[in-house]
Amino acid sequence: MKNLSLMLPTKVIFLLAVFLVSASTAVFGAEAEQAKLSLERLSQSLRQLNFNTSFVVVKNNQAEPYHWLHGTADVKSSRTNEALSEDPLSSSMAKHNVELEILALLNGPRRDILRVGNTVSYIEPEYAPYSIASAQISGPIPTVFGRDISVLANNYDFVSVGKSRVLGRAAQLIRIEPKDAHRYGYWLWLDLDSGLLLKMAVITRKGKLLEQIQFTHLEITDTLSENLKQLHLAELPKIIELSAKSKTDLAWQVNWLPDGFKEVKSDRHRINSTNQPVEFMLFNDGLVDISVYVNPSKDTHRPIEYVNDGATLVLNQVVNNLEVSVVGKIPLATAKDIVNSVSFAPKKVN
Amino acid sequence: MSESKFEAISSLVDNYRVSEQASEQVIDEMLKDEHLSASWQQYHLIGDVIRDEIPATLQLDLSAQIAAAIADEPSILAPKSAPKSVNTVNAIKAKVVQLMRPVGQLAIAASAAGLMIIGVQQNTADTNEVIVPTQVVQTKPLAGFANPVSFNYQQDSQSQQQEAIEERIAQQRRFQALLSDHQQQVKLSAAKLAESAQAVESK
Repeated sequence: MKNLSLMLPTKVIFLLAVFLVSASTAVFGAEAEQAKLSLERLSQSLRQLNFNTSFVVVKNNQAEPYHWLHGTADVKSSRTNEALSEDPLSSSMAKHNVELEILALLNGPRRDILRVGNTVSYIEPEYAPYSIASAQISGPIPTVFGRDISVLANNYDFVSVGKSRVLGRAAQLIRIEPKDAHRYGYWLWLDLDSGLLLKMAVITRKGKLLEQIQFTHLEITDTLSENLKQLHLAELPKIIELSAKSKTDLAWQVNWLPDGFKEVKSDRHRINSTNQPVEFMLFNDGLVDISVYVNPSKDTHRPIEYVNDGATLVLNQVVNNLEVSVVGKIPLATAKDIVNSVSFAPKKVN
Repeated sequence: MSESKFEAISSLVDNYRVSEQASEQVIDEMLKDEHLSASWQQYHLIGDVIRDEIPATLQLDLSAQIAAAIADEPSILAPKSAPKSVNTVNAIKAKVVQLMRPVGQLAIAASAAGLMIIGVQQNTADTNEVIVPTQVVQTKPLAGFANPVSFNYQQDSQSQQQEAIEERIAQQRRFQALLSDHQQQVKLSAAKLAESAQAVESK
């Protein structure tokens, strides 16, 4: 008897709890679904629309202005693009269109990124102009936004928050919130009309703003702009051959990374400005890149030092004459954990 | 400036009078001489410090502060009431001013209230928006050292400071090199990512 009387309320409470949880997940699910649709629309708009836009990256109390042009050209009407014809996917599926893109930093020395289909050219003061075979330009806006956004679903929640006015347009705020405390959140304000990005902010879990991109001009056209037409006819720099193998065996390993970070590549190279030889590993979770560097140091020991460039953290320390550095848009605690997790195999690193 | 005058001031400060006449002479001289009056102030301060009577915050020259505060006071702009013995035109003008002033004050009060309400609305509107970036550059300071007070260490501390500055520059250069290499590697890795993404898409 006693047992039964105890069980009944427990059961009721349990049912009630189940009901509440399912109700809240249903609401949350609808919001998440809407957020996902908005992000998919962003990805589509970034690939398909002809737009001419300007934005400013605000970080460290400084503003960097950019000009960004994107469009799609009909390949048949102009000359056949070499890079495109090489690519089996484009020729079979999207043979009519080739994406054209220009991203230019407007202040300081010229930094232009040009893209014709699957060729991306970088014009920078440090190097002679070069091209790489790639379908995405890496600038201030994470490349994943123009691609398949669902790769982020394992590590981030998509939340549709509300509407506001940005760049004189009605905008929908979508938050890409990390599921753990090891990375930052990304807030995107998307144009309700075109689906394009109007504003982006990188925010800590405590709500502190680290870096933001504010669009200052947006023009969507039916036809290709003159600059892009010229780009389509231009001769791009030669595509540099990257070594076929992306992974090199190194005498050390990173034993801890936040969930979802995968090794993209590892190699030995020299850092351009200092000529310092380093052993290097690059990790990515779909949105964020983390670089880990190991090199011998003339110091025997140096405690952790770090600097923030907007959301990007650069951190290093020296232990037993080995300098370990971590760079990426990650919180300090994450970088510390990564740097401390690096272990060295018995054989000595040269 | 003779040493004896300072001595006389010192004994005055310590309430140690030699003679009435002599002290009066010293006071007169002190009032004329800025240098002497400054030392009068200093001797008092020294005495206070020795007796441990200094206040928590030292106001070394109150008189100068008060003078500055008075200078900063806004001058009163309200018109003085016109004297009675003026002609009629002036009298009418004065009346007009009298009539207008309360209205003007009321208008100012009303606009202040308006500002307050607008301000409140602005604040609530701003809470959803993140507009102002915060300064986030922070370099962990290198092993710091206190500046030695003594002059004997001046030379040493300068070379130490030089070292610290050089170390900091080297550190900044290191960070900058890492940052640009990171960006470069991300760019180059895009080629690989594109391949793998296409591989996934074509499946």
